[in-house]
Amino acid sequence: MLVPYQLPGILVFGSEATNGTEDAKARAHMRFAPPSLSASIGCRSPILRAWFFAFGALLLSAIAEARPAREVVAEAAVMMDADQQRSLVEGLGEGEPGDVSLWLAKWKEGEVYLYQDAAGTDIAVLLEGEADPEGKQTLSRVADGQAVLDADGASVRASKDDLYLADTDSGLRRVMKGVTDRIALASPDAKKRLQAVQDTGLEQDPAKLVLLEQRLSVETDRSIRNALAEAMAMIRLRDGDPAIREAAVLELGELGSIAAQGAIKTVRGEAEKAGQAELVAACDKAQRGIEGHIARVNTVGTLFRGLSLGSVLLVVAIGLAITFGLMGVINMAHGELIVVGAYTTYLIQNLFAGGIHMSPFGLKINIPGMNLSGGAWDCYFLVALPASFLAAAGVGLLLERGVIRFLYKRPLESLLATWGVSMVIQQLFRLVFGANNVQVESPAFLSGNWTVNDIVFGWNRVFVIVFAVLIIFLTWLVLNKTSLGLLIRAVMQNRGMAACMGVRTERVNMMTFAFGSGLAGLAGAFLSQIGNVGPNLGQNYIVDSFMTVVVGGVGNIMGTVISALGIGMADQSLQQILGNPVLGKILVLGAIILFLQWKPSGLFATRSRSLD
Amino acid sequence: MNTTISGKAPTLLLAAVALFLVVGMPSLNAAGAVSDFTLNTWGKYLCYAILAIAVDLLWGYTGLLSLGQALFFSLGGYMLGMHLMLMIGKLGAYKSDLPDFMVFLGLKELPDFWQPFYSFPFAALMVLAIPALLAGIFGYLAFRSRIKGVYFSILTQALTYGAALMFFRNDLMMGGNNGFTDFRSLLGADLRSPEIKRALYLASAISLSAVFLFCKWLTTSRFGLIQRAIRDSENRVLFSGYSAANFKLFVFVISAVIAGIGGALYVPQVGIINPSEMMTEKSLEAVVWVAVGGRGTLIGPVLGAIGVNYLKSWATTEYPDLWLIILGATFVIVVLFLPKGIVGVPAQIKSMIDRRKAIKRDRADDLAAINPSPEAE
Repeated sequence: MLVPYQLPGILVFGSEATNGTEDAKARAHMRFAPPSLSASIGCRSPILRAWFFAFGALLLSAIAEARPAREVVAEAAVMMDADQQRSLVEGLGEGEPGDVSLWLAKWKEGEVYLYQDAAGTDIAVLLEGEADPEGKQTLSRVADGQAVLDADGASVRASKDDLYLADTDSGLRRVMKGVTDRIALASPDAKKRLQAVQDTGLEQDPAKLVLLEQRLSVETDRSIRNALAEAMAMIRLRDGDPAIREAAVLELGELGSIAAQGAIKTVRGEAEKAGQAELVAACDKAQRGIEGHIARVNTVGTLFRGLSLGSVLLVVAIGLAITFGLMGVINMAHGELIVVGAYTTYLIQNLFAGGIHMSPFGLKINIPGMNLSGGAWDCYFLVALPASFLAAAGVGLLLERGVIRFLYKRPLESLLATWGVSMVIQQLFRLVFGANNVQVESPAFLSGNWTVNDIVFGWNRVFVIVFAVLIIFLTWLVLNKTSLGLLIRAVMQNRGMAACMGVRTERVNMMTFAFGSGLAGLAGAFLSQIGNVGPNLGQNYIVDSFMTVVVGGVGNIMGTVISALGIGMADQSLQQILGNPVLGKILVLGAIILFLQWKPSGLFATRSRSLD
Repeated sequence: MNTTISGKAPTLLLAAVALFLVVGMPSLNAAGAVSDFTLNTWGKYLCYAILAIAVDLLWGYTGLLSLGQALFFSLGGYMLGMHLMLMIGKLGAYKSDLPDFMVFLGLKELPDFWQPFYSFPFAALMVLAIPALLAGIFGYLAFRSRIKGVYFSILTQALTYGAALMFFRNDLMMGGNNGFTDFRSLLGADLRSPEIKRALYLASAISLSAVFLFCKWLTTSRFGLIQRAIRDSENRVLFSGYSAANFKLFVFVISAVIAGIGGALYVPQVGIINPSEMMTEKSLEAVVWVAVGGRGTLIGPVLGAIGVNYLKSWATTEYPDLWLIILGATFVIVVLFLPKGIVGVPAQIKSMIDRRKAIKRDRADDLAAINPSPEAE
């Protein structure tokens, strides 16, 4: 049975560490630098050694009574009496956390040896330095990092075989684990703390209950408090008293603890054998509670994924909603405009890193990069967004001037001609960038995720949604609040009348198409963050985006928004229900065909009295 | 729109070409003047020509641009392919009665829907029935809700996409990604022997001729008249009391069946069928053949299919990197400048000359009006 840990020490340290005062951080950092390193530095350079000792003194004064971990370890390792050894090790819990775990790990992993000096006293030592041909290394004291000297003042050399290993029995190792766990639970890093709490819960070691209770009394982070409650309940599942077990089971059920499912099952099995009907019932109830929680997590997860897929569709289709929806041009090269945006992002990324080095068509292109890294490099994406908009808008402008303006009255033909253009562009991409996918790295602020109540929200998916909202807002702004938007709407509603009023329809067509193409480019910049960038990227989205626009009702941006979200949700929900992504997709396509039976001109039909 | 050269001479010419394709090529091959490879390649072209006619019947004559004809083509191919797969018997890599991919998937018994495909007549019937059934259902739904123009194109594109996704899956039991290949025999004869290759070529040539004649008859009949009327003004047809939807459905089904026949003849000649054959791009490629050849005529698609594929065979070996650019650019140029395709070029030149002449005459008249000649005074 373990002796309760000394509370005050932990309390002082824990609060200090979590508050993260500057010098506490600095200390932790300094002491984290491997002591063996500082020891060797100490040996070589007197100035550094002086610094080191000064720092050590500072440290000693900061943590009042705590002795350096290495000293304690050195003392404990040579101790014969197991009980004393354990109580010494337990005392380590108050020490500098990085140091303690480091030295305990060294001991546990068999790096600490015992050396008997001339006087017959055991000294705990480490083997250091290069091994000579006989396998001998210099010995350094664990206690202070000084070399062990013999009577003549020369450093002692020995091989592993000459020394006794300072071994640890299972009882001692358990004590050590307790100490390291306590340190982990007090870790200033919330993520590590959470992990430690969860691990402790899964261990279900009743001895750790006290530890968790102590932590709970000082913990301020809400998610960790929840995890603590969960872990404590899980430990209580092992309690001898069935009443406590029952309470724990019920609590876990209410908490919706996914991790505890297995443990509750075990408890239920035992209770059934022992004939404790009430406990069995409690287990069943808890199980139902947890299953309900899992179902909720899955539903919310599916909704979130649906929302983000819908946003992807929306971003991809919004450009098409303008060129196809408003202008009536079937632009099969829309996918390639997306790819223009994606490759622009790729080029900008390279410009921020090592530069652009390519040799298409025998031309040698070498543009030196800025060789940035970290936060400055992350900014490439902010440059890439407008760049990809402009690049795609430029290509769109050329496409409109070169091909599409001749075909405004022949929509079927515009479909065919733009398909021809899309093939040419695709092949050009293959020739310039190669047929394989290129690597676009996400900036740091788009990686990682955020977990709430067991539901994982990836940053890039959150970004997708925010981005979609921004783009819709931008589009709405351009169409409704600018003079260009006014002209666009006028020309799209009645080209002839607009021309009569003196609107230069040719120019408006050009600008509208360029705007739609630019939006496709933005979509490309954005797809480069969530998937591969290759010449075929656009082809994967073309059918989906046309579907989205058709279902939404041609000529209606709002319809596109709703249909994109609807299709995204339906797709993800069907995937969840059927457990098969492809089947889900096929069903969605079927559903769209049936939907058009019911509403042939989409969700929001433009009302008109004209025929065709 | 139907501006092809009329009169007896072209008909005779057509008959001569047909005769050469049906009789001439195979006999030259038998005599050794045409290699087996060339004959096989031409057999493939003729199958493409059948597909092109199917596309044209819909697009050129009825104004329905379907991006799903390659789907019906592949479905026909798959139906015959199922029979061919079963005919491999124990000759496959796994020495099993089951097709190799099924053994690979761990199947012990043939799925029920495969059983009847041991019979060739059944498979041949399915070649016609399955495309017709799918086209019937889809067409009924689409035309009933009066989906037309580009919406029809986009929907057929979605249909094709969905179907391809389905065929890519292994649990459809249609070979998944790899499709069917490694065929051995058809009707007891070895598929690799030159005789059976010649027979397959012959079948393609005869089928093409038959399809051509059938479509000729169909489009010149009263039915063809309504078909073109739908293309040019669907509303007027509706107001005249015709049920345009039924006409369109009928043409759609016929076109699907024709495409299916083409596919069934294609598969044993190339020896492979997989889902990539039914992708939208393949349908669009067929549309390119029709556009290049000249839509709204029957000879145009045939010329286009053979011509473009001949160009493709040449370009993919000479300039493999540039082929797609050539194809895409050709397409853009044809759409922009040659709306009637190759077949329409003479008429286009003629009308251009006529216009020039007309302008000149007008100018001369104007001049005459301004400066009256002395005699008139």
